[in-house]
Amino acid sequence: MFLAWNEIQKNKLRFTLIIGVLMLVAYLVFFLSGLANGLASLNREAVDKWDASAIVLTEESDKSLVASTMTIDEAEAMEADKTAVLGQINAIARTDDQKANVSIFGIREDEFIMPEVSEGEAFSAGNEVIASDTIKEDGFALGDELELSSTDEKLTIVGFTEDARFNAAPVLYGDLGTFQRVKFGEAAEANEDQINGVVVRTDDISAVTDNSELEAIESETFIENLPGYTAQSLTLNFMIYFLFAISSVIVAIFLYVLTVQKISMFGVMKAQGIPSGYLARSVVAQTFILAAIGVAIGLILTLVTGAFLPAAVPVAFAIPTMLIYGVILVAVAIIGAVFSVLTIVKIDPLKAIGG
Amino acid sequence: MAVLEMNQINKTFGSGHKKVDALKKTDFQAERGELIAVIGPSGSGKSTFLTIAGGLLSPTSGDIFINEKNIASLNEKELSKVRLKEIGFILQASNLIPFLTVDKQMKLLDKVKKDNMNKQELEQLYEDLGITDLRNKYPSDLSGGERQRVAIAKALYSNPSIILADEPTASLDSDRAYEVMQLLRNETKNKKTTTIVVTHDIRLIEYCDKVYKMVDGVLKLHEQS
Repeated sequence: MFLAWNEIQKNKLRFTLIIGVLMLVAYLVFFLSGLANGLASLNREAVDKWDASAIVLTEESDKSLVASTMTIDEAEAMEADKTAVLGQINAIARTDDQKANVSIFGIREDEFIMPEVSEGEAFSAGNEVIASDTIKEDGFALGDELELSSTDEKLTIVGFTEDARFNAAPVLYGDLGTFQRVKFGEAAEANEDQINGVVVRTDDISAVTDNSELEAIESETFIENLPGYTAQSLTLNFMIYFLFAISSVIVAIFLYVLTVQKISMFGVMKAQGIPSGYLARSVVAQTFILAAIGVAIGLILTLVTGAFLPAAVPVAFAIPTMLIYGVILVAVAIIGAVFSVLTIVKIDPLKAIGG
Repeated sequence: MAVLEMNQINKTFGSGHKKVDALKKTDFQAERGELIAVIGPSGSGKSTFLTIAGGLLSPTSGDIFINEKNIASLNEKELSKVRLKEIGFILQASNLIPFLTVDKQMKLLDKVKKDNMNKQELEQLYEDLGITDLRNKYPSDLSGGERQRVAIAKALYSNPSIILADEPTASLDSDRAYEVMQLLRNETKNKKTTTIVVTHDIRLIEYCDKVYKMVDGVLKLHEQS
């Protein structure tokens, strides 16, 4: 630590540049992780909000909520601690001057997926809905009457709830009747037992249903099968993993160049009998200092940038994840220092003194 | 009792018809408080002698004792410990660390070794060498002579039994060179260390107790005062 720190203090410019590079890599990693997290919640918020263990869909729907149809009778036959019926349809909602892609959830007010109202009140009559508060960013407000694509029904926003987006669209929660009128129009009454799936809380997912046409899917599996979700998160996560590898290589190259420049100095120290182990520890300590400072500044910069970004950018910073990534960055930087350590161990003190 | 003793040291580099005998049947003894010069033209084997005496190189055959411990067959790690504990090097190229101040050059040794000089001894050493005012300077801010004096301080700081100096006056003008030799002599006498100076500068031999001459790998006692 003694050598490492004194060298950094003496050669401020050189080490500031290295810290700068590490900071930029960390910035990119943190920002991508924020983006990955933000895009993920865009898709899964409403599902996470259920806090459910599984969702039951028809087997032939291939884990797609919108493609699954069943009847309420089938739902009643299920074995679970708690069940909640769910109807779902996508639509475009518009007022005179605004429009938004929405996902309409038909639910029962007394079942566990009923959202908490953060503003306004819960739906109490047909065609009243609680909307995700993110729809406010599209210019919608409490009391707005929404026209829908593909039906003459009109919905009224009576309340808002937080964290309720499904597959990138804000959710409108209404009762089952509202959902069926939107979905089936004049045939709504004939289809009043039609739902898309059943959300369940249970310890034993396999025991939920014995109906061979139905399939209980764990929440996480269900989320992964949302359209585009896995492709998106894999892409971003791969970029993050590559950045880890890249930062390791960058640090390795920088330190190696620095070490090669100092070979004769290390040689002189070894001639004096200073153990290789001490010199190697010093290089590792130096890497740790540089990486820790770089990552810390990168973290601060990311959070500052996040605070100034427009709401339309889907970043959401999960501090625990970022801290883990930060630790990984420091760790891979230290792995990058290994080459330099090997070089130091191999230095022949005799050559250094020109013997 | 000899601090440094060499018995029948041979050192051979290469093999076949490229074989070079750098040292031939060398015997050498140095006692406490002696300042010894080894002179000879370049390529005569002086440096090989110095590196073997300093535990940087192992001899091809023969025994070498430092404080009665045979170091001829030690591995690099053990040799490194011997160098740290027993030897102080003053090298031709300045052996100072560029990013450490004079004080911190000494402090570095505290990090890896015990039994170095205490604070008063260090102050006295600085004063003897006339470098007290330079203590917070970096090597790049020092002149050649100042750097050489700091290098001497560094070699003495660890209280070694043997100081090995390779052309310690090479980069200095005559006045400075004599000054450095006088300093080495004083420290050798005061601290009862053994100092061996390898040089081709015969003007320096008047400061030495013994002078050895190296010719084609053969070391001979040249003069004893």
